[in-house]
Amino acid sequence: MAMLGFLIVFPLIVAAVLAVVRNDAVRDVIVVASAGVIGVASIALVAMNIGAPGVFFAYSSGVVDMVCMAIGVLIAAVIIAFAVKYKNILAGALAVVQVVLSLVFELGFAHGVHVEFGLYFDSLSLLMAFIIGVIGSGICVYALGYMKDFQHHEPEGAKDRRPLFFALMFIFLAAMFAIVFCNNMVWMFTAWEITTVCSFLLIGFTKTEEAINNAFRQIVMNLAGGIAFVVALFYSVVDMGTLSFTVFIAQAVLNPAIALIPVTALAFAGITKAAQMPFQTWLLGAMVAPTPTSALLHSSTMVKAGVFMLVKLAPVFLVSTVPALMVMLVGGITFLWCSFMAISQSNAKRVLAYSTIANLGLITACAGVGTPEAVWAATFLVLFHAIAKSLLFLCVGTAEHHIGSRDIEDMDLLFDRMPRLARYMMLGIMCMFIAPFGMLVAKWATIVSLVEMGNIVLLIILAFGSAATFMFWAKWLGKLSGIAGQPENVETTVHRSEWGSVVLMAVLLVVACVLLPYVSAFIVEPYIAYVYGVGGQAISTDNLWISSICVAAVVIVLFAGLGRGKSRRVNVYMAGITADSDARTFRNSLSQTSEATARNWYMEDIFGEKKLAPVGVGICIVIIVAAFALSFVGINPGML
Amino acid sequence: MTMLSALIGTLLFAVIAPILGCLLAGLDRVVSARMQGRVGPPLLQPYYDVRKLLEKEDASVNSVEKTYIICALAFAAVSGGIFFSGGNLLLCVFMITLSSMFFIVAAYSTRSPYAEIGAHRETLQVMSYEPMVLLFAIAFFMATGSFNTASVFALELPAVVSIWLVFLGLLYVLTIKLRKSPFDLSMSHHAHQEIVRGITTEMSGPTLALVEITHWMENVLFLGWVGLFFVWGNPISIVLALVVMVFVYLLEIFIDNNFARVKWQLMLKSAWLVALVCGTLNFVLLVF
Repeated sequence: MAMLGFLIVFPLIVAAVLAVVRNDAVRDVIVVASAGVIGVASIALVAMNIGAPGVFFAYSSGVVDMVCMAIGVLIAAVIIAFAVKYKNILAGALAVVQVVLSLVFELGFAHGVHVEFGLYFDSLSLLMAFIIGVIGSGICVYALGYMKDFQHHEPEGAKDRRPLFFALMFIFLAAMFAIVFCNNMVWMFTAWEITTVCSFLLIGFTKTEEAINNAFRQIVMNLAGGIAFVVALFYSVVDMGTLSFTVFIAQAVLNPAIALIPVTALAFAGITKAAQMPFQTWLLGAMVAPTPTSALLHSSTMVKAGVFMLVKLAPVFLVSTVPALMVMLVGGITFLWCSFMAISQSNAKRVLAYSTIANLGLITACAGVGTPEAVWAATFLVLFHAIAKSLLFLCVGTAEHHIGSRDIEDMDLLFDRMPRLARYMMLGIMCMFIAPFGMLVAKWATIVSLVEMGNIVLLIILAFGSAATFMFWAKWLGKLSGIAGQPENVETTVHRSEWGSVVLMAVLLVVACVLLPYVSAFIVEPYIAYVYGVGGQAISTDNLWISSICVAAVVIVLFAGLGRGKSRRVNVYMAGITADSDARTFRNSLSQTSEATARNWYMEDIFGEKKLAPVGVGICIVIIVAAFALSFVGINPGML
Repeated sequence: MTMLSALIGTLLFAVIAPILGCLLAGLDRVVSARMQGRVGPPLLQPYYDVRKLLEKEDASVNSVEKTYIICALAFAAVSGGIFFSGGNLLLCVFMITLSSMFFIVAAYSTRSPYAEIGAHRETLQVMSYEPMVLLFAIAFFMATGSFNTASVFALELPAVVSIWLVFLGLLYVLTIKLRKSPFDLSMSHHAHQEIVRGITTEMSGPTLALVEITHWMENVLFLGWVGLFFVWGNPISIVLALVVMVFVYLLEIFIDNNFARVKWQLMLKSAWLVALVCGTLNFVLLVF
């Protein structure tokens, strides 16, 4: 238990220190050292408890309850202050509603309910702790170098607000640890709200008009989710008499009728946090923030809290039809729609954002299906998405600072200009969409679990969504792979801290893909067995090994095989006399120099955002409203 | 066991499939010539062509193109090996997609404007046929209760009886996969409908030979998918499957010679519509 407490409290202490440190060198040392400590501690926790079923710690504390209440009030105060400053009535009103509800709840209802086991962990918490502790703190280290460049690009005399930035990053990590370790739902809710307000402040960090607007969009959507969370707490206490998350889930599985409303409300909270349609716009807007923020939000924190909640609720979805249908359909439609819309994007960060939302949709849909096989797939999607997406964000962030653009069309020749970075980026992209890498193995497991359920709708959605996924990743991958003569290598000015984090993610990615059968056997299967009593691995171990051998082969080719060819070099054919292969210029029939240009396809008229987004948002709103209506009326077809 | 059989299967496939694929390509050229009222080349002409390509000088626009092509070839062999050794059909589908990806990346890496256009179109072709191919694998599971291709030998009736709609859908996208007209957008075997030769523009000599061999293997694999619908517990069914495979290939040649290339919009929309209709209807028929 000391370990859990350490992981939650230590980042808070670091954050407090970083908030007052103004010296670059001192901050570097503190961030690197504490990230190392957090990483080692979380790895140690995982290693010492590998394969553990649920481990519960008898811990309840009136002091912690009071602290949680105080934090709740503080959060509301911060939001209301900003809402007043920027005249955003909706955000202020929602914050007031939430703080009043939660105070009424905590003072009037909650104090009678005692949660004996305040803290716990199981294999899913351990996996999440690994993701938060290693990937999350890796991103914090990366931010050191990135934010130096960022400060450089700021106008002369601008206030250095990096202490706030780094303090928020570490508070974020602490809150995430609290979410995955707290069994007391009130504590969990407090941590949940901390992540909301932290990302609000991080998105609005640059204080441009766009950033402020997007930050408010985020806070409004997530406050709606937060209010749903409080509603779930009310019902949980009144109808079920418990605030223990484990007891809540167990009771909901035994008696889905009594838990119908709180489960639907919690699922809704998860959907808002995981940026599912119709709430996808907050995550798209979040990319105005500095890239480390995006990396943190997309890979190891925030959205992962949402899907963590949904995966936890998966056993309930298996027996409770209404919330299950809501989660399944919203997830499936989000996956399909966002994969389509990603095709029409040329901004690298926007492609990444859409791909994140799409993959979260897939995880959500798997959680909604709720069978052991589907949860196996969801867990792997969480893991591989976290690693690959953080790698990609870090690469894009570094590329942006060195080539001056985040547009994919400008990444032409990146393989020459930044040969190492381009390879890492290609590795990350391949992991996202192509077999035998991790994400595709998870998708494979998803197909198996769906086909065993006979879930036709999701199978069709998956088939079309996967095809769209191929399109938008392959054309980006192709753009990166372009090779010319010997342009200037601009890679030498990348900060060491940035390289460190990028390499860490790449190594994690390769190790996780190659050792996938072991990850399944020692981390994922124990959780499935603990929750369901049966295994969930739908793909034979032999086939997993075939995949990992192929991954090893591709990685070797990518990092050792490329660029070794010794054939004679010839000019590129351009239907004229080639003047310069690298610049793609040729002498045309009038002896003038022409330049050949080629641009990727974005198919705006078929997959454009303006055309597609309203339809998807509309469908998802109808589904969610219908699910709540059915829940309040108390109709749950699975019960009949 | 699966691993060992997949390995042996891959090695055998890498030897046998190019031979069969070469003969198929020769047959294609002879039959096409007859359809056009020509005598045509000898049956072994594709073999002579590739042998000549292999003897040519190794020249290319960059140092990586050939590496990517070798990867495409290797993973096509793995895919075929998994399929014909009775392995997992989904894994087979994923591996052949990986092979296609390497082919596309090879073309992109040259930065030739013409090759890039070919690569864009090839990416679009993959996107067009991928839903139907995935639905084919899923329907196969629904019909046989397993993703392993070996499971057909335990059937009492061939899979085509229950998933004939998916079979028709697969036939439709097979034209795209085989890069036959009207869906030969990324590169065409017909000189008259190509300005510059699409995705293989910058590939020459031994590299182009490897591309040809990869296509031979792919063709054998795809016809294997067709045959899979017609095999059941009775050993004679294999003969039936072979007859159907030859017939389907002749049908593809016939289509190839009678249609002009279509625009990409039509290819994408029609292939997705076919997948949606055939897949959904067939699944509904199976489940209810």
